[in-house]
Amino acid sequence: MEHLGEKLAALLAIAWLLPLLGFTIEVFGGYWGARNCKKAAYIAIGCIAAGFVCSSTALYLWGSETGWVALESASHGGHDEHSSATDDAHTAGDHGGHDHAATVVEHHHKQTVFSGCFYRLAKFGSLNLSLDWYIDSLTLTMFVMVTLIATCIHIFAVGYMHEELTDDYVDHQVHTHDGCHFHRPGRFYRFFSYLSLFCFAMLGLVLAGNIFQVFIFWELVGICSYLLIGFYVERHSASTAANKAFIVNRVGDFGFIIGLMILWTSFGTFSFADQHAADGKVQPGLFSMVRGSDGKLEATDGIVVLKTQQDEHGHWQVPPDSSQRKTIAYTLLIVAGLGVFCGCVGKSAQFPLQTWLPDAMEGPTPVSALVHSATMVAAGVYLAGRFYPMFTPEVLLTIAYIGCITAFVAATIAIVATDIKKVLAYSTISQLGYMMLALGVGGWGAGLFHLITHAFFKSLMFLCSGSVIAGCHHEQEMPKMGGLLRKMPITALTMLIGVVAIAGLAIPGTSIALSGYHSKDAILATALAYTKLNSVHFLLFLIPLLTAGITAFYMFRLWFYTFLGKPRDQHLHEHVHESPLVMTVPLLVLSVFAAGCAIGGEEGVLFRMLTHSQPGHVAQGFNGLAAQTVSLPSHDAIHKVHSTAGSAALLAAFCGMTIAYLVYGLGLVNPEEIKKQARAVHAFLANKWGFDDLYDTLFVKPAHVVAKFAAAFDKLVFDEILHTVVRFAVVISKWDRKFDEGVIDGFVNLVGNSTYSLGIGLRGVQTGRIRQYVTFIAVSVVTLFVLLFAFYPKG
Amino acid sequence: MEAVGPNPFLFVSAVLFVCGVVCMTTKRNGIGVLMGVELVLNGASLNFVTFSKFTPLGLDGQVFSLFVIVLAAAEAAVALAIALNFYNNHLTIDVDRGDELHG
Amino acid sequence: MSVETMLFWLFAILTCGGAVSVAVSQNVVRMAFSLVLCLGSTAVMFLLLGADFVGATQLMVYVGGTVVLLVFGVMLTATGPFTKIKSSGADAILSGLIGVIFLFIISTTVTAVDWGDISQKVAIGTHQKTAARGFNPEQQGNTTRPLGLSFLSVRADRDLNLSRNVPSVEKPVEDAPKLSSGYLLPFEIVSIHLLVVLVGASYLARAKRRVATNQ
Repeated sequence: MEHLGEKLAALLAIAWLLPLLGFTIEVFGGYWGARNCKKAAYIAIGCIAAGFVCSSTALYLWGSETGWVALESASHGGHDEHSSATDDAHTAGDHGGHDHAATVVEHHHKQTVFSGCFYRLAKFGSLNLSLDWYIDSLTLTMFVMVTLIATCIHIFAVGYMHEELTDDYVDHQVHTHDGCHFHRPGRFYRFFSYLSLFCFAMLGLVLAGNIFQVFIFWELVGICSYLLIGFYVERHSASTAANKAFIVNRVGDFGFIIGLMILWTSFGTFSFADQHAADGKVQPGLFSMVRGSDGKLEATDGIVVLKTQQDEHGHWQVPPDSSQRKTIAYTLLIVAGLGVFCGCVGKSAQFPLQTWLPDAMEGPTPVSALVHSATMVAAGVYLAGRFYPMFTPEVLLTIAYIGCITAFVAATIAIVATDIKKVLAYSTISQLGYMMLALGVGGWGAGLFHLITHAFFKSLMFLCSGSVIAGCHHEQEMPKMGGLLRKMPITALTMLIGVVAIAGLAIPGTSIALSGYHSKDAILATALAYTKLNSVHFLLFLIPLLTAGITAFYMFRLWFYTFLGKPRDQHLHEHVHESPLVMTVPLLVLSVFAAGCAIGGEEGVLFRMLTHSQPGHVAQGFNGLAAQTVSLPSHDAIHKVHSTAGSAALLAAFCGMTIAYLVYGLGLVNPEEIKKQARAVHAFLANKWGFDDLYDTLFVKPAHVVAKFAAAFDKLVFDEILHTVVRFAVVISKWDRKFDEGVIDGFVNLVGNSTYSLGIGLRGVQTGRIRQYVTFIAVSVVTLFVLLFAFYPKG
Repeated sequence: MEAVGPNPFLFVSAVLFVCGVVCMTTKRNGIGVLMGVELVLNGASLNFVTFSKFTPLGLDGQVFSLFVIVLAAAEAAVALAIALNFYNNHLTIDVDRGDELHG
Repeated sequence: MSVETMLFWLFAILTCGGAVSVAVSQNVVRMAFSLVLCLGSTAVMFLLLGADFVGATQLMVYVGGTVVLLVFGVMLTATGPFTKIKSSGADAILSGLIGVIFLFIISTTVTAVDWGDISQKVAIGTHQKTAARGFNPEQQGNTTRPLGLSFLSVRADRDLNLSRNVPSVEKPVEDAPKLSSGYLLPFEIVSIHLLVVLVGASYLARAKRRVATNQ
């Protein structure tokens, strides 16, 4: 029992590090030499599957060691016990010795949250930068979910990416200058090494025990996303999309860094949980400092006093001595929360940074399934959930509205999208908006519940779309499909499961439904309870309700469009084939989870698992005292309106489905006519609400103008200066050359020439005649004598 | 009676020397040139002996003149051999023809 | 005018005449004859100067050896046209001019020097006794022995002890004479030299195939 934390940490660390090992082997294993070798894929699958086993083992171990305390019916009167979930982490040391056969009440006091430190990277003053771990039921659930989905997608990718298993891959979407298609070696191993790296980063993000570590892996998943979006780097659209994703994410990360700076300055720590130092002292984590042990966030005169001292029961309290008090301005806390949420906006493609996600569909479809629907984009929601105790009601309101707007905008665009992956991408954005909305309106459990269910059914749908695309020979436009149900029945049926799940359909009057119904139901119920408390914000219920209807409409539109009706492109239709087993089996597995993972709804296993980690203050709700402060609904209030909200959501979903069936299934109304009727609206939606144009006008074009100006400045000023200098240097060197040629060379030549001419002249003297030489000698002697007589001093 | 002083001897040796030089410069015949050399050497030799008598040089002058005679003999032998070789090669004894070393 | 003086003048004229004849003559055979005359007269001059051994050597080596050698050379090479090779008149005039100037210079130099004074100055280092003991005019005509001794490295006419201290009346030198070394080494060198020269000369003058005539 005492070592449960270490055991869990070891298991999850193995699951976390195995993909890194796989990545290392795949990168350095020399697979670039053998392009048609599947070893890299097997290594990657082995690593992530082993990670799944480890994660599942850890989850089971956690459950059995804690007596499955999380799954027990949480009586609504038992708030006190629930609220102490985080408190347990602090006090468990005292209760750690309890017997396994303890009573139910005592189970509640068993430690369920564990934290610790793998390795300290650096220490700056009071600030620790370390690789921590923080394990609660949310971490475990995320681990299992990520590794399971990743394993399925890895297996699927073996089939989907088999075209890369060649030394000469022809990219039909890239044309070289001579009009031919682009040829390059296959990148099979590279794809799987990227996937492994991504899995490592994602799991590290989930396991992280402090916000800085989250940031590190945040960036790491960002770079993986960049690499994977730009996998077909020769395609201009792909490289542009990769750049767009990376740059847009940087905008969000800028806010994230601001949040980090505020946290460091004000709190002096990044750690979520309390840190037990080696000398037995306990340093409070971020959550303890803000919320204390009772989950109350109190601000007096705009100042929040941090709870940095433990009383004798181990509860965190405000230090009685005012000189030891640490404080933070309430506005600063808001800014910190908004900053961190800004990072989430970027990563989870929320309004107004949602534009990168649809473009990210340029990556291979398994990437879209894993990175851009199920896991990475959900990391923003995960972080918002993890960081929940730090968010003030004002921040939560912002989150709610951002999520609401995102959900609606993305859903409307999805109506008119024709690219099958784009529809799913907008649907992803919309669902992420739902999650954010849920978190914002106080539905912590509902938001993360939807995160898990959405991960399953959205990855399922993406894989189905991948199967369709592979079957249609990389045709992604829905208007060219149609009638694929008979050609690829497994894909169509699994897709239908996903569609029903996301649409939130259920059999009325019962709770028999697929996963999406339960999670969306929970979100809408929370939103309804919220609007009842804060009637000003009634839109926060109505818009999601409307969006639920739209969701059902466009998802069924997609399904009807693709799989029913008459084949619209006969040539294409003839060549369509069902995907091989390696692709359909993951679909089946995922469809099982998409359908059944949320069985029981809010009484079910998954929801209870998640809400066990719920921050303590959420359940009671929050009563805003001042007029401008919002109130958050308690679980009781949510429960009361649950059936109302569920009925409304179901009604909306059925409406959407019916309209879709009428239009696209039966063909009562020609969609083209609607398009003509509402041309302006259609154009507006097809133009993605003009966000891309807006950003283009606001940022890209000004940047281009500035760049052009800078280029012109460079050209006109700097280049001119340089040219002048160069011309000057040329003139100098010309003069220098003249000096060299005239003076130096002239002197040397003069010496040489004179020596030469002297030699020529003296040559004549050397006649070779002995007699002449003798004459010379005689003359010389005579001359010498004459000189001697003439100049020798007399006497 | 007054004995002959050194000056007449020196004058004779000067005449010998100058005649030798003139002989060397004017004679195109190799043997003639050689004879000029002999004359020059004889003049020098006569000088030595003269000084050996009229100055404290003494016996040294005679020793030197002996060396000169010996060397002259040796020189004559070698020079004659050279002259014969020259004659063999050029079929003439005219030293003006042996100007291959001209500049 | 004593006989000695007459002899001197006679042989001086013969010597000079022979030399001039050698220089002037165009015929190589005549030149050889004049040379014999000249060298023989020079030998007499040596004898007149009291150098009996040198004079004898001159006669034997020069007149009897070298000149014969030259005559051999003349005979070996003087085939027809080469007996007389005339040089140009300009050469002769130029050479004559130089010779006259040369002669003039030497003559003026010779006459400008007072040889008695020079001898006095040079003789300061030489003691009277030395002169008496070694070579002196009184011993003229008898130089063979001292020359032979000097070649055997014994100098009878040089006492090195005397040249150390300036002789004076108060302090006559009574030490035993320390004889200077003679010309043994140069003598040996000359011997070797002669040997080498003879070998070299015979090598050079050996009979060779005439290349030029046959081609």
